[in-house]
Amino acid sequence: MLRFIARRLLETIPVLFIIATVTFFMMHGAPGGPFDSEKKPGPEVLARMKAHYGLDKPLFQQYLLQMKHLLQGDLGPSFKYPGRSVNEIIAVSFPVSLELGCEALVVALVFGLAAGMVASLKQNSAWDHVPMSLAMAGLCVPTFVMGPLLISAFAIHMDWFNAAGWFFPRDRVLPALTLGAYYAAYVARLTRGGFLEILNQDYIRTARAKGAGGARILFKHALRGGILPVVSFLGPAVAGLLTGSFVVETIFGIPGLGRYFVMAAFNRDYFMVMGSVLFYACFVVAFNLATDIVLVWLNPKLRFEE
Amino acid sequence: MNVPRKLYLTILCLTIVAGCGKRERLVDIGNRNQELRINNYGEPSSLDPQIGIGQLEHNVSIALYEGLVTVDTKDLSLHPGAAESWNISPDEKVYTFHLRKNGRWSNGEPITARDFVESYHRILTPALAAQYSYMLYPVENAEAFNTGKITNFDEVGFKAPDDYTLQVTLHSPAPYLLSMVIHESWFPVPISVIKKYGAPDDRTNPWARPGTCVGNGPFVLKEWTMNSHILVEKNPTYWDAQNVRLNKIYFDPTEDEDTAERMFRSGQLHGIPQASPSKVAFYRKNKPNLIKVYPILAIYFYKFNVTRPPVNDKRVRKALTMAIDRRAIADTIMRAGEEPAFFFTPPNTGGYTCQTKLSEDVAEARRLLAEAGYPDGRNFPKVEVLFNIMQAHKAVAEALQQMWKKNLNVDIVLHNEEWKVYLDSMMHTNYSMGRAGWVGDYVDPSTFLDTMTTDSGNNETGWSNAEYDRLIHLASNTGDQAARYAAYQKAEAILLDEMPVMPIYFYTIPRLILPCVRGWYPNVLDTYNFKTMYLEPEEN
Amino acid sequence: MIDTATSPGPEPVEHEAGSSFWQDARHRLWMNKLAVFGLAVVSILGVLCFVSYLCPHLTGYTYEQQNLALGPTPPNHAHWLGTDPLGRDLLARLLYGGGISLMVGLYATGVSLAIGVIYGAIAGFAGGKADMVMMRIIDILYALPFVIFVILIMVFFGQSIKLMFIAIGAVEWLTMARIVRGQVMAIKRQEFVEAAHALGLKRRRIIFRHIVPNLLGPIIVYATLTMPEVILLESFLSFLGLGVQPPHSSWGVLIKEGAEVMEEYPWLLIYPGAVMALTLFSLNFLGDGLRDALDVRGSKD
Repeated sequence: MLRFIARRLLETIPVLFIIATVTFFMMHGAPGGPFDSEKKPGPEVLARMKAHYGLDKPLFQQYLLQMKHLLQGDLGPSFKYPGRSVNEIIAVSFPVSLELGCEALVVALVFGLAAGMVASLKQNSAWDHVPMSLAMAGLCVPTFVMGPLLISAFAIHMDWFNAAGWFFPRDRVLPALTLGAYYAAYVARLTRGGFLEILNQDYIRTARAKGAGGARILFKHALRGGILPVVSFLGPAVAGLLTGSFVVETIFGIPGLGRYFVMAAFNRDYFMVMGSVLFYACFVVAFNLATDIVLVWLNPKLRFEE
Repeated sequence: MNVPRKLYLTILCLTIVAGCGKRERLVDIGNRNQELRINNYGEPSSLDPQIGIGQLEHNVSIALYEGLVTVDTKDLSLHPGAAESWNISPDEKVYTFHLRKNGRWSNGEPITARDFVESYHRILTPALAAQYSYMLYPVENAEAFNTGKITNFDEVGFKAPDDYTLQVTLHSPAPYLLSMVIHESWFPVPISVIKKYGAPDDRTNPWARPGTCVGNGPFVLKEWTMNSHILVEKNPTYWDAQNVRLNKIYFDPTEDEDTAERMFRSGQLHGIPQASPSKVAFYRKNKPNLIKVYPILAIYFYKFNVTRPPVNDKRVRKALTMAIDRRAIADTIMRAGEEPAFFFTPPNTGGYTCQTKLSEDVAEARRLLAEAGYPDGRNFPKVEVLFNIMQAHKAVAEALQQMWKKNLNVDIVLHNEEWKVYLDSMMHTNYSMGRAGWVGDYVDPSTFLDTMTTDSGNNETGWSNAEYDRLIHLASNTGDQAARYAAYQKAEAILLDEMPVMPIYFYTIPRLILPCVRGWYPNVLDTYNFKTMYLEPEEN
Repeated sequence: MIDTATSPGPEPVEHEAGSSFWQDARHRLWMNKLAVFGLAVVSILGVLCFVSYLCPHLTGYTYEQQNLALGPTPPNHAHWLGTDPLGRDLLARLLYGGGISLMVGLYATGVSLAIGVIYGAIAGFAGGKADMVMMRIIDILYALPFVIFVILIMVFFGQSIKLMFIAIGAVEWLTMARIVRGQVMAIKRQEFVEAAHALGLKRRRIIFRHIVPNLLGPIIVYATLTMPEVILLESFLSFLGLGVQPPHSSWGVLIKEGAEVMEEYPWLLIYPGAVMALTLFSLNFLGDGLRDALDVRGSKD
């Protein structure tokens, strides 16, 4: 196991390197620069600004310089926010996205697993179709519609919550629901599928014949196998979840990382984009690894494959 | 109960428990504590008044710093700020400011004329690359120093003969100088404090943060969490602290207009500076006491690339300009009381109103188009209108497209680019027609008309007219206001005859603001006077 | 235990009509009510949108015809679904936009299918080192945040609908490739392939006659499930402003515009939102139904 982990971690380094290179050249290739604005500063001012950040050097030299800094862990300054470094911006906003992501994950798991498990127990009945249809709402209603709908209903008309902001514990509820809905739908569908497969197996039939009731069957016998597809899916998805959602953060005014990701690309904030991309990539790699480990733990058969 | 029912019941209970209960509105708490909560368009890039460049940075800067002169938002009259009085020399080239003896930085240090001179030195230092350094160019040798032509700051027209006297020498008379001085590029910055955190000419110097930021304004920076909020608190060392009634100001950086409007509606904010057009119509109809619509010093227009056919032909440009209905655009698309624009400089800018007006005349437009070689729109090549991605721009462009089709029978193609790409295209004159906007920096027609000179970086149309340049140059080198305005009239007449730009409407701001906010007055600079503002809920 | 009731004695044995895999699948699909409903909805909408694309004046208004004086109006006799702030007929825009959204969905899915199937099949069939390298490449691509890259692609190449298919397809093919590869590897190990090999059949024959038909199942299922993803992605691009450009409409554009004016002009969100949700719903259930019918072990990826 340890050798497996070590090997995977080692493989990560060339992966990150390639990602950094691709990102660098794509960013610099896109038209428009970080200092283009509607009110043009004089050409000398512009030249000074570029020189200050090293943008006047030849492209390849900038690339090498960037790689050197990355190796030292220095993600560079932000153009859009002079006085702030990318490290600092990520350090401040990531915990917020992390918290939102975890709460959305809880929502997704609670609603998704519940719906999926129940649906699998009572296949093709109303208990199957109704919860699954509700769960599908997460897949069929985009977040930028669901968010304002929830806000309009619960924050403005019912006055139960603030319309936006991230200050009180209560502020977490609507964003978590909005963000979690999409994943809840997937979890529900995968859970149902996974459990259906398990529940049709002989050993479940045996347990039932021996008199085990619904809950016992679900939790004691089926869970470990049925949850496999959910884990496979969630692994990489959680990486995206935890690094922030642009839409939810915009609609609910949440100071998370997701917004910086997207805005950095729009602002041509080169260092911010690079930092965000690498940060995200590390997460994905870490979660892929974690998923593989959990899958092996849940399904010992996999240990002997490949 | 079997499993499904138990499960659902639990989830239901949890959801209800999480949600219940009414809360005290944040604006009511604010009213009690004299804490103003306003939306401020977005997250400031920096709170250093010499680096932050936009309206939103300006709004926080005026709380934290005070310039030599301040403006009364009721009538835009100028009042003493950090300077308690000033004299202007007879030749209008030397301004002598007498600073307050009781002016203090928020760390208790007195503010001296030396501080101002050092501040101007910093903003004009080329290495800092301050984007608004051009606001100091009326001062003798300021431009030369800023562009690196001279390196001795002593040659620049800023002198401090003694601790409380600041002498500013201009290279030629500028009657509008005082209206420039209210801009944040003229604010003082605490050089001695800045030096503690890095080189003063390093734009990434992190001095402007809570705990380290020092200013001479009515408030101090207390909290600043990126994308969350900025909180400023009353400054006890401010020379006029006893007249400042607000205790705190809370700036909310939400960028999305709809999110901000929802926050306003749910009682989180006292005011938001801009509501989207559909909300404007709604508020004007249903809640008129919550919305204030007022004009600002800004114009919405289209630029023509005069080097590219077919718009290189003056007649085509005029035809397109005349064949649209500006009133319809203002009334049905923008719906915030915008004034259709028939000239370039907003009316009554510092007392100047352009006397030449362009006309909307479809028959004449068709005639011009035919004369240019495209009778009834035949053979008119595909012309693209470039704009950046925003709902309002899209709506206007679509409406104009239809108007041109209907009135001139020409097919205009819409091309929408992402913001930076759009800026890049405009800058490199890589367009045929492009949407543009310009906000005046100070109250004088020069801030608009200077942009269309041959060597202005903001021209972008490729249009160059020697007579226009001569008139503008003349106006910026004389102190005779009548002569200046006469020159501007002639210049603008040329502009409207040659038509490198197509004015559409003058901006208005549809601001949502609660009645309990007092001491705020709409003004064309859309600025605040936090000193005079306070909160007092109406009795009801 | 099922007690088969049989009549004693020698009865003429009825020949059961044999049914192929596909016939069984079709039967299973038919039994799944939600899937059938989904199929019906998608077909009807597809036809409607296609027809309105060909005949822009179907409703009496085109999708771009403005009526500034009219402005936004709720549903009425003249405009069955109402008008938007520029006075454009919502029904016309909805149908036209539907055509565009479905077209984007189909083409982008097609692009992702093409790339994904070829890539995955090669990787699965080749195995060994080549497979490992190809999968590593997919891992790298997975680790790129697609949002940023779609933005860069759209910005780089400008906004045209054709390029949008490619940009979206370029993002979605990864999952398809993984699934196809997994399926190919599973099939490769099956006994009937071994048998074919033992019989001396050429490689090409094995691929086309035996492996590919078994791939069709998962491909159909995941193609059907990719379409709603694509349509959602297009709506997200519209949210960012990078989607379909004016004056064209698509469902993404319509619901984005509708969400902004949700409180003042609710019909502008309700109708497009309902139609899009219904379509995505239908596609998802159709896909699930197909998966159940074809008994694809999707849950085992």
